[in-house]
Amino acid sequence: MSKRIIIVLLGLTILFLPVSLFAITAQEIVREMDAQATFETSYATGSIKTVDRFGTKESTFKAWSRGTTDSLIEFTSIAERGQKILRTKGSLYLFYPDAEELIRMQGAALRQSVLGSDLSYEDMTEEKTTLDDYDVTLDGSETVRGRDCHILILTAKTRQVAYPVQKIWVDKETFLTWKGEYATNHGRLLKKMEVLDTLVIDGRTLPKETRIEDAMKSNSATWMMLDTLEVNIPLESNLFTLENLTW
Amino acid sequence: MKFILQLAVKNLSRYKRRTIITAVAIAVGLMMYIIVDSILRGASLESMRNLRWYETASLRVYAEGYWEDRAFLPLENSIEDPASIMSLVEGEQGVATVRTTFAAEMILYSDDFGENGNMNVKVTAIDPTQDFEVYRFEDTLVEGRFLEPGEMDGLLLGSWFAEDIGAEVGYWVTLLTRGKGGFYEAFDMQIVGIVNCPNPNVNRTLIMMDIAAADTYLGMENSVTSIDILLPEKTDLELAKAAIQAKLPEGLEVFTWKDLAQDYLAIVGAKQGGTGMILFLVFIIAAVGVSNTMLMAMYERMRELGMMRALGMRDRDILLSFLFEAGGIGLIGSVVGIALGSLVNIYLVNTGFDFGFMFRNMDIGFRISSVMRGAWSLSTILKAFSAGIFLSMLVAVLPIRRALKLDIPTCLHHQ
Amino acid sequence: MTIKLPAVAFRNIFRNLRRSILCAVAIAVSAMAIMALLSLLETMETDMATNLTSYYTGEVRIRHAEYEKYERYNPLHLSLDTEAVISVASDVGGVKAATARINFPANLYIDGQNNGAMGVGVDFATEQAFIDFSAIVDEGRIPKPGANELLMGKFLAHDLGLSLGDKVTMLTSTALRGSNAMTFTIVGIASFPVGGLSAKTVYIPIDRAQYLLRMEGKTQEVLLLTEDGYRERDVAQAVETALEEYLSLETETRAWKDLNMMYSFLSIAKFIYYVMGAIFFVLGSTVIINTTMMVIYERIREIGTLGALGMQGKELTRLFLLEGTFISIAGSTLGTLVGVLIVFILSKTGINFTEAMSGVDMEISSILFPRVNWFTALYVWIYAIIISSLSTLIPSRKASKIQIVEALRYV
Repeated sequence: MSKRIIIVLLGLTILFLPVSLFAITAQEIVREMDAQATFETSYATGSIKTVDRFGTKESTFKAWSRGTTDSLIEFTSIAERGQKILRTKGSLYLFYPDAEELIRMQGAALRQSVLGSDLSYEDMTEEKTTLDDYDVTLDGSETVRGRDCHILILTAKTRQVAYPVQKIWVDKETFLTWKGEYATNHGRLLKKMEVLDTLVIDGRTLPKETRIEDAMKSNSATWMMLDTLEVNIPLESNLFTLENLTW
Repeated sequence: MKFILQLAVKNLSRYKRRTIITAVAIAVGLMMYIIVDSILRGASLESMRNLRWYETASLRVYAEGYWEDRAFLPLENSIEDPASIMSLVEGEQGVATVRTTFAAEMILYSDDFGENGNMNVKVTAIDPTQDFEVYRFEDTLVEGRFLEPGEMDGLLLGSWFAEDIGAEVGYWVTLLTRGKGGFYEAFDMQIVGIVNCPNPNVNRTLIMMDIAAADTYLGMENSVTSIDILLPEKTDLELAKAAIQAKLPEGLEVFTWKDLAQDYLAIVGAKQGGTGMILFLVFIIAAVGVSNTMLMAMYERMRELGMMRALGMRDRDILLSFLFEAGGIGLIGSVVGIALGSLVNIYLVNTGFDFGFMFRNMDIGFRISSVMRGAWSLSTILKAFSAGIFLSMLVAVLPIRRALKLDIPTCLHHQ
Repeated sequence: MTIKLPAVAFRNIFRNLRRSILCAVAIAVSAMAIMALLSLLETMETDMATNLTSYYTGEVRIRHAEYEKYERYNPLHLSLDTEAVISVASDVGGVKAATARINFPANLYIDGQNNGAMGVGVDFATEQAFIDFSAIVDEGRIPKPGANELLMGKFLAHDLGLSLGDKVTMLTSTALRGSNAMTFTIVGIASFPVGGLSAKTVYIPIDRAQYLLRMEGKTQEVLLLTEDGYRERDVAQAVETALEEYLSLETETRAWKDLNMMYSFLSIAKFIYYVMGAIFFVLGSTVIINTTMMVIYERIREIGTLGALGMQGKELTRLFLLEGTFISIAGSTLGTLVGVLIVFILSKTGINFTEAMSGVDMEISSILFPRVNWFTALYVWIYAIIISSLSTLIPSRKASKIQIVEALRYV
């Protein structure tokens, strides 16, 4: 689910279809989740808060997105003011106000973390859908935060995914993923994700506050919060271009 | 002629004391010269040796694309069929071993280390049986034991690194990394041994594990990130590099240790100059010693020389006989000097003088070994040898010729 | 037999001038060579020490108290208030100069590739006391404060294919744990006497570094130079106390010799030099001993004669010892003076130490100027006299024990 969280950050909301009341398969659940693929467009503002050995760091941002492929983040907090991250046509570009050229992130450089958080640039560029990468099985239900959830176990099909094993709790009604545990092949817990607060827009329920915790290191966690979210709004056609980035 | 030679030889044994003292002077001078030269050469070779013995080997084979991204240690650019490459390489007089290097986060726990912590590290996975053929870690173990082939959870640390983090044999850590393809993997490892590597840079960062274990954890499927090759010391690197490159299949690149060393320049370079001056000074002292003793030896024989002239020997023959004698002393001195010098050099070159005791608690970031080693130089030995003989003869000539110019009675009365 | 030994000794020396001269020359040459060597070694050592204190640590270094603990994470946020610290530190007795520096790992982004380098933010004005930038700048000039300009090491520029006037974007992490990038123009290329610096460093004005790293008004470290006559450790102590007192600030303030990482390198070099020196001394002593022994043996007959005349045993020994001492003094003085002269000449012309870097085709030529150190000269002078005088002792004693009859037999 971590990929999905990022897409949310990029301002994507979940399109939610009515669910059949009959027994639903794991694949269908995931498809529903993934069907929250994209809004046509979105605009959001929010913040990321990171806690590590040196204390807390908070950054605020504005984010636009279009489909699954284009997104633009602009940081508004003082420490990063004016810095932008553009994702388009499968590449990632960074803009810094004091640099006279764009920095293109590719290859192994994408594994670096964004602002020291538990997210990496790589997380932001993933395009494939969940079922392409994972085999899914349904493993019962459990209540999370008072909501009845399916428990799904996702096992990676290839080595090309970061988290070989995922266990997620998906709301039976809203198909929101409330909780996620990400582990290695041997079941070693790597990260934990939890949605702490939600908002409803366009008939869909989306995470408003999410926490990701690094299970291997103590005192390392990241919070993501959406303050505002608008969807399917008209966006300028050249918003996701390099030229616009440098403007 | 034969007579003159015999005379010279007999004189050598007649004036044993003089012969010995003079020869000793020559011997000591030469020995010192050889030793000093050896130390200076050794010192200047040291940092390069340290690099090759513990960090870079002579040559390295990488897959295409690895070098550009080497800062990230990309497992994706790996060598697929190392076994076949190894056999290609070994034909070129080198010894080779496989290695896989990867970046990881090492996670420490308070039970062993007192407090939780994590740090970014570089882990080197080696083949415990073959690695010692290429790198010289064999003599460096200070605690615990070496890795065993196939050992899944053993780690070897450099002693400074261990000291830095407060690690001891038996402690457990967790390595968190991305395998080949990008999947996260975490595995618990126990420190089984600590090595004290003379290369401080390696000593501060070294973490080793078994390559078969790494292969399993990282999903390498028998591929490795590099093949490290050791060539005999005097090999022409560029030639060897070209030869091997020609034999390799597409998609592999060969790098010499100099290419690899570009990233590793010493932070504070030792001045290379000045060695010439030092050697020159040694030579001067040695030359004076030889000249002095030879001169005195010759002057002592002034009366004998007068006697020989009085008896009718030709000036030229007298000169020759003394010359041979001087040459003989020079020869003896040179031989002894070279022999002694070489003996000391054997020790210096192979064992070296370890002054590590001075620096136990110090933290150095450079490629200086705590062992001072020497270096062989045939040219130096030959130079010293010929200088010893030549100088002795030269210095003997002057007083003899002077004496030959004096009239005989003066010679005979010489004190 | 009451004779004045010193007078006899003196006359003996001149009686056989050739012999005395040979002996004195041996001593002189040894003394001179040793003097030259020690000066050479001292020069190299001083040079290294200067490099360390100029380019790396100053003579006293002030950092945030917790910096060392987290050093591996490059904690720029553990910084010092530049003005306050410099002002307090400069007022402490014994402090000659102060400068602020920020060292940060940077990536030079060129053609889509990241190239690691070490960025250093410096105040080029206050740095004059520490680094003579104008002397090491090969091409171009020193960056101006307030401008996005940088000074690059020669090897780094060569490796990256950059030259004067080129622009390069530097990417780094900031003190606020974010990242930032800025484009700089290369206005100067410098050859540092330390090869590694030429290969990896980039110097920018400190105000730009502070802006880039989001550390306005702050610095990573403050370096101090101490006045002559003050011990660095004392000054460090005083500064640390002053900072605590006036700013209530706990810092890590240490003299450069206590910063193990750098000073230990110097210690290794020193050790090698001592070994060299020892070898020289042994060699020189051997020559001296050899020569004096030869002299004694030469005079076996004379010894016999003297013995027959009644001078034996202790008196004889003393006579030879006196002779030896006089010659030693003469030889040592001559040798030491010549040695001093040589060093003096070299101090004007300089010694060329051209350093070839491994892996690079370029060289950095540097000229070192030795300095005449009278203490060293004194030391060598005394040493030569003692060694040569002592070395007459053994053969003298042996000589004194020779039977008169034996001695007279040596014709």
